Amino acid sequence: MTDVKALRQTIIVCRKELKDSLRDRRALWSIAFSVLIGPILVAFMMNRIADQRREAEEVRIPVVGIDRAPALVDWLRQQQGTQVVEGPADAEQAVRDQREAVVLVIPEDFAERFVTSRPAPVRVVSDSSRNDVRPSVERVRRLLQQYGLEIGSLRMIVRGVSPAAVNPLAVEEVEVSTAQQRAAQILTFIPMFIMVAGFVGGMQIATDSTAGERERGSLEPLLINPAPRGAFVSGKWLAASLAAIASVILTTALSAQLTRFLPLEDIGIRLEISPQHIGNILLAVVPMCLFTAALQATIATLARSFKEAQSYMGVLMLAPLMPGLLSTLYPIGAAPWMYAVPLLGPYVLLTGVIGGRPPGVSAFLVSAGVSLLVAIILVRVTTHLFRSERIIFAR
Amino acid sequence: MIRIDQVGKRFGTVTAVEGVSFEAADGAITGLLGPNGAGKTTTLRMLYAVMAPNSGHIRVDDVDAVAHPQAAQARLGVLPDGFGLYPRLTAREHIEYFGALHGIEPSRLAARTEELLGLLDMHGIADRLTAGFSHGERTKVALARALVHNPQNLLLDEPTNGLDVMSTRALRNIVRRLRDEGRCVLFSSHVMQEVSALCDSIVVMAAGRVVARGTPAELRQQTGHQSLEDAFVSLADLDRRAHR
Repeated sequence: MTDVKALRQTIIVCRKELKDSLRDRRALWSIAFSVLIGPILVAFMMNRIADQRREAEEVRIPVVGIDRAPALVDWLRQQQGTQVVEGPADAEQAVRDQREAVVLVIPEDFAERFVTSRPAPVRVVSDSSRNDVRPSVERVRRLLQQYGLEIGSLRMIVRGVSPAAVNPLAVEEVEVSTAQQRAAQILTFIPMFIMVAGFVGGMQIATDSTAGERERGSLEPLLINPAPRGAFVSGKWLAASLAAIASVILTTALSAQLTRFLPLEDIGIRLEISPQHIGNILLAVVPMCLFTAALQATIATLARSFKEAQSYMGVLMLAPLMPGLLSTLYPIGAAPWMYAVPLLGPYVLLTGVIGGRPPGVSAFLVSAGVSLLVAIILVRVTTHLFRSERIIFAR
Repeated sequence: MIRIDQVGKRFGTVTAVEGVSFEAADGAITGLLGPNGAGKTTTLRMLYAVMAPNSGHIRVDDVDAVAHPQAAQARLGVLPDGFGLYPRLTAREHIEYFGALHGIEPSRLAARTEELLGLLDMHGIADRLTAGFSHGERTKVALARALVHNPQNLLLDEPTNGLDVMSTRALRNIVRRLRDEGRCVLFSSHVMQEVSALCDSIVVMAAGRVVARGTPAELRQQTGHQSLEDAFVSLADLDRRAHR
């Protein structure tokens, strides 16, 4: 009977906290910003990458000394998507000023050395600090390499040597990752952003309803109501968790929409977030939301002031970013123990799901179980803190 | 009815309240009078069970407030020091939030809220957010919230602090009305006129102890002073000298 009553009180507290925070315009904007920024950033970056691919396919090659190597220039003209033009007077200055992405310089002694079968010099002028022109420069280098190989083979055939003799190795690359996995690698940001959304979404309520409530002096009147402390804490925790889950749903839905409009085919990857994916994503992240909301509430309750709580949250923000950041430095696989680590487990699950290789049911269960267990422990700790006079009256 | 018996409270090495005993009867307004820092708020906090005493007993009606804090809280309406309103909730939502936490059914709660809005003349501000409320309006919200479950006992911690004359008068009238309904009202204040105008019985506290108890007339007699203010000053002073 008392349990039913406490549960009802938990729901009453939860409803009030949600209503209260929905009216907090500034907090809503900051949540919306952190939820939207991720997918939008990814969309922007993907568009840039696709643009660059397209640019590289259509490469403009200014050549200085265009008359000195008519055969090479003709060959370049015959290749797909090239446009050979007369080069600028000062090639290096033109590249430095970013007027040209790349300039080919053919020195005067090119023809002389070429006909006597000595390495003929060709200068590729480029600026390696410019990321945006790198594909174009790469394309020009590859073209020159290809031309060199073709001429080399011809020369050997003329001398009665098989071109195969100078290729002792035949390197074959076998790519085993699926297209979706490659997509997930490029889109490692999406799991990170989903996790950050879950983290940020609950932060406002977790701090405002604990440290904020105490600082405004409304905690004491609240605690005069005949309800167990656990009901107050659970209600606040539940409200923060629901807000976190809502943010996750929002980010996921937005990412799903964006992947539909992104020029992913142009980059050669396929990525799709279907309704079934969304289900799996939520299975991976919802338990994490319960955990992060509980963690935030505990830390905010321990903080001496609202401001202090907020600065702790800033530091804590690194936690959901950590697995994503580390994985870009050390490619982490999916070892079974990882599922049992809070935050890391959901991250590994997410990369699996978004990469088109969802882990087994047991992985989901282990990850959810650990998150829930830690969340319940943290709620208990917070409840204990709420019984402490030093915490309640720390104003 | 409230009965406090030999209650003591320490914060670390500081003794905030020691050996405090008094009774607040039903159908009477009891004043808890004392200078700032006398231990009034600490005593009330133990009474409404957000602080646990280190020693002594507290009974609210027939409930042991130390052993069963929630049962005691259900019998208490409290206007704490500093109202602690939520700026983003309306007056009505404040009343309904606390009413719901007290377990009042939604249909009865709506009726009770209307009743309180009428009693405290709050219909004009019922559905406004409390963010811009004046001190008087905030007092009304906090009072309505404290009365939502129709408690037998009412605790008011310095309720008239910062109130204008009209609001103070309105508050006094409500407190008197509650007394006449047979409720127990305990009222803390450091303002002499307030207590003498309103209270049937006075408990004087200084430096964490009860230094005198009785009706206003009894206190005047006890100290030999004609005015209650002089009586109060001599009581508080006496205690300070005893502790030196």
